[in-house]
Amino acid sequence: MSALSVNRALTLLLLIALVAAPPLLGWMEVDFWLVVLTEILIWGLLASSANLLFGQVGLLSFGQALYFGFGMYGVAIGIDRFGLGLWPAMGLGIAASLGMAAVAGLVAVRLTWHYFAIITVVFSLIFYFLALRLKPITGGDDGLSFAAPPILDWGSLRLTLGDDATQYWFVLLIVVLAFALQARLRASALGRAFAAVREGERKASLLGIDVLRVRWIAFVIAGGLAGLAGALFALFGRYASATHMYYTVSGEAVVWTVLGGAGTLLGPAIGAALLILVREELSTVWEHYPLIVGALTIAVVVFAPKGIAGGWNLMLARVLGR
Amino acid sequence: MSVLELEGVSRQFGGLRAVDGVTLSIGSGITALIGPNGAGKTTLFNLMSGLLPVSSGRIRFRGQDITKLPAHRRAKLGMARTLQIKQVFAGLTVLENTWIAARQRHRPLDPFRPAANDRATRAAAEAALETMGLEAMAGRQAGSLAYGDIALLEIAMALATQPALLLLDEPVCGMSPSETERTVARIRTLSATTDVVIVEHDMDVVFGLADRVVVLAEGRVLADGPPAVIAREPAVREAYLGEDEEAA
Repeated sequence: MSALSVNRALTLLLLIALVAAPPLLGWMEVDFWLVVLTEILIWGLLASSANLLFGQVGLLSFGQALYFGFGMYGVAIGIDRFGLGLWPAMGLGIAASLGMAAVAGLVAVRLTWHYFAIITVVFSLIFYFLALRLKPITGGDDGLSFAAPPILDWGSLRLTLGDDATQYWFVLLIVVLAFALQARLRASALGRAFAAVREGERKASLLGIDVLRVRWIAFVIAGGLAGLAGALFALFGRYASATHMYYTVSGEAVVWTVLGGAGTLLGPAIGAALLILVREELSTVWEHYPLIVGALTIAVVVFAPKGIAGGWNLMLARVLGR
Repeated sequence: MSVLELEGVSRQFGGLRAVDGVTLSIGSGITALIGPNGAGKTTLFNLMSGLLPVSSGRIRFRGQDITKLPAHRRAKLGMARTLQIKQVFAGLTVLENTWIAARQRHRPLDPFRPAANDRATRAAAEAALETMGLEAMAGRQAGSLAYGDIALLEIAMALATQPALLLLDEPVCGMSPSETERTVARIRTLSATTDVVIVEHDMDVVFGLADRVVVLAEGRVLADGPPAVIAREPAVREAYLGEDEEAA
């Protein structure tokens, strides 16, 4: 059995467990975990957008919260101000984040490493403060809250986010589709061009790869993924606020990615799941729980530089005898 | 017919003219570019391949003015180049390295079709590995190869782009004598289909391979002609003797 088939089987098992989670958690009488799980899926999606840039193209972004915020406000404004339905509002959120990433990307992709990281933070701070100031549009400090329109309303068939299980399946469906899209992307010619740019941009350009263009494409796709996560988060909380646009949110996405395994498909989601579980379990017991998060992250970086998923793949390769 | 034409090409770094008004017309076969350290050989390669912009002068490739084109556009037009400090995509497999090179001619940024289904590109990538004798290593991670094999892989990647002109920057540097011999034979074979410019310090390699030798010194063309003539040129011997005296 190859490492690939082991990982495929495990991914399938995970998917089955995720689909079956609502009745399973209900049966175990721990329903409240369903809401936590929904949140994990959304943050895992945000982390995957940081991973697309860092793990695949080699650009460390501390600004993914900006596009998350555009997705969030897009939905909130779409529903609250324009009276849009759920799907058009999501479309507006994603379009807004794609548009913002397309513009910011024109500047950002000309830089690399810390310069790139800094410019992404700068963009996100500008819009964070703008969101606080533009009270008539964004609600300022108070944020924007709204009543979520139904997911589906076909006469007798009416699905709403009010039901926790329906909301969870709705989020799961979209997150799974977003990860499937990323898997497809990684296996494509564009995915290989991403890898080439990450591994050696000068070499890539000498082979005919337009490095800036490839980076820009990755930046826009990552912005769209972050925007999708933000749109889901707004629907999940029926709320949009500037706090989730702050650069610390971007930083969390990077920590989840590094911990879970930068460059792997599911690593960022695994990292997000682990750290959110740590937070849920420990924050009530001990207020200094971020110390544990920090220690855990340092331990992983030192002992498994490729993160949990990277370490797993290494172990798998060894066990399977290669 | 000349593939690459340089017309008064110069490059200035602060007060230093690293390349100083070079006019060259590179034709068919293997052209060797030699000269003492600091003569401007690698800088000239950087100007030809577009990694550096020229300070003045014009460059034409296959009749087209490419003076202002960035490196990737020149590569698309059929110019390939290896680097003095060998560089491959270390984290990818050997085959993926040449696959990426070969794919640049056909929808290189297709986000949908699985790369594994692209048989034509795979065949081209495998052919390039075969030309350099690397087919047995196709599945290995490029970063795990020995230095000599990395140098060969770099040439294979350049070949996979199906270039009309191949610029090789010290291709046998760091290779053992037997590796050097095999590499020289391979370069000779591929020069039948592709024009080659080679920068090399190993004079046995230069005089064994080249149809024409261009000597650079202090950024200028000092001599230009068939190897037999260049070997007897007093100015050339002086330039090299000068270097030897300094080194001693």
